[in-house]
Amino acid sequence: MKFDRYILLLILLILWQVLCGLEVIPTHLLPSPFKILLGLKDLVIIGMPPGHLLPNHVLYSLYRVGLGFFAAVLLGIPAGLLLGWSPGLRRITNPLVELVRPIPPLAWIPIAILWFGIGMKSAAFIIFLGAFFPILLNTVSGVLAINPIYFEVAQTLNAKKKDIFFKVLIPGSIPSIFVGMRIGVGIGWMTLVAAEFTGVRTGYGLGYMIMTARDIQRPDEILAGMLVIGLIGYLINGGLKACERRFVKWRA
Amino acid sequence: MKKFTLMICFSILFSLQIKDVVTGEEIPIRMGYLQSDIHQLACWVAMEKGFYEKNGANAQVAGIFKAGPEEMSAFAAGALDMGYVGEAPATTAVANRVAKATVLAQVNTEGSAIMVKKGSPIQKPADLAGKTIAIPGHSTVQDFLLQKALRKFKVDPKKVSIIVLKPPEMIGALKTDQIDGFIAWEPYPAKAQTMGVGQVLLTSNQIWKNHPCCVLIADDGFRKLRPSHVEGMVKAHVEATDFIHKFPDDAVKIGMKYTGMDEETVRTAMKNVNYTYELSIDGETEYVDFLSRLKYIDVPHAETFVNRFIDPGVLEKVVGK
Repeated sequence: MKFDRYILLLILLILWQVLCGLEVIPTHLLPSPFKILLGLKDLVIIGMPPGHLLPNHVLYSLYRVGLGFFAAVLLGIPAGLLLGWSPGLRRITNPLVELVRPIPPLAWIPIAILWFGIGMKSAAFIIFLGAFFPILLNTVSGVLAINPIYFEVAQTLNAKKKDIFFKVLIPGSIPSIFVGMRIGVGIGWMTLVAAEFTGVRTGYGLGYMIMTARDIQRPDEILAGMLVIGLIGYLINGGLKACERRFVKWRA
Repeated sequence: MKKFTLMICFSILFSLQIKDVVTGEEIPIRMGYLQSDIHQLACWVAMEKGFYEKNGANAQVAGIFKAGPEEMSAFAAGALDMGYVGEAPATTAVANRVAKATVLAQVNTEGSAIMVKKGSPIQKPADLAGKTIAIPGHSTVQDFLLQKALRKFKVDPKKVSIIVLKPPEMIGALKTDQIDGFIAWEPYPAKAQTMGVGQVLLTSNQIWKNHPCCVLIADDGFRKLRPSHVEGMVKAHVEATDFIHKFPDDAVKIGMKYTGMDEETVRTAMKNVNYTYELSIDGETEYVDFLSRLKYIDVPHAETFVNRFIDPGVLEKVVGK
């Protein structure tokens, strides 16, 4: 019964196809699943805009996300560990974090273009903003959630501050760091598509591809592009979950 | 008896479509146009001077759009009855069977320009090779014009890097050297000039003389349901176009109000636009051929499509031809 969880999805797809076939759903508003698959085929073979093939769009988008996400990991995790470790630092930085955090990454787009120009850097910056705060805050809460008894035991055993940091604090906060990374990459991935809506220098990117399909009025290709985005997000989340299981064996 | 009942039902349905059931008031015509696009001046003149009401068309702005494809998506969603929009995005949407609409009148011909930075080494079209040029979107009139210019002046299109930017962002990008040039509808080329940022490399007149640009379109369902209102809208459009020619100073003021730009920019922009309601069948056929070549649309017989897509009947009736 491995596939029973997909039954509902399958039923919905069949129903959708039948309703489109009977013209209950206008296909110019919502193309049928079969038409979306044909759109996907066109994206792979012809490309959108023609000549710009789907695999390249995927690669460029993954590269942008990778760049922004790793920058967020490199800054967010150490900063989160430090803020979790030091109440004084946490108190000083809290107003700044709480002021900047609610600003939607998309609101930064005009500023990002102004600062970093059109292209890779500005898109990576938007993704960085989307991924940074979930990673930072989850790392902080991961540190704060460590049972104080571990610190007390380490201190009783005359452990140095460096040892407590590396042998208690970091391993103790890893489960929460992974949650932050999963949320961060998800938000980064969502922001990427919007970040690619304007000013893509290379002519590649899934967001750019979807906007071009909109310009050329191909709802089948728009939905096929959305499907690809969903699938990649699903795979990235699955990959991070697998990493989490590997690194946080005691939790599994 | 059956026929009589059916007739009654149809009459009620028809009246429901044009009159509000509760208030009994006439349902307004939902109209769309492009934001800050000086090509749409006739629409703004008609609104400001009350030409729509005068001609029995109760038009109400239902959407102001940043680009033609967005407006055509609104037509597809059934959110607009009539609209001022670029001929290329309208063609793409109808040919791809997303929207069902018909062109009733021309709005303007020409009115775009390829701009480069002031003092740029790009002095002639051939210099565009190896440069980055911004367009407002794929399948826009400007996309078409750039492709046509490259071919006309024998520049390999593969050697030009094309990026999509919305016109308000283009001047800033040109100023900061993020792009080498852009093609946009007026008044953005004029604005780049008056700001001292850009200079004209080619006007669209030099690329394709008298090329059709924006058109007045109507949703097919609406056209069948309310023909007298469609005629009123076309009459108002003709009157507004004549007004622009007769009273250019007044038109400039209206242009300033709707674009938010200064007088010098609006006057410079208007010099580059030819306001006309005369339809261009040949021009539309060329668009269809071009869009098919780029694989944006799949139309086997351009002429058959054009004859269905453009209906000069209402305009001929209005101008008495």
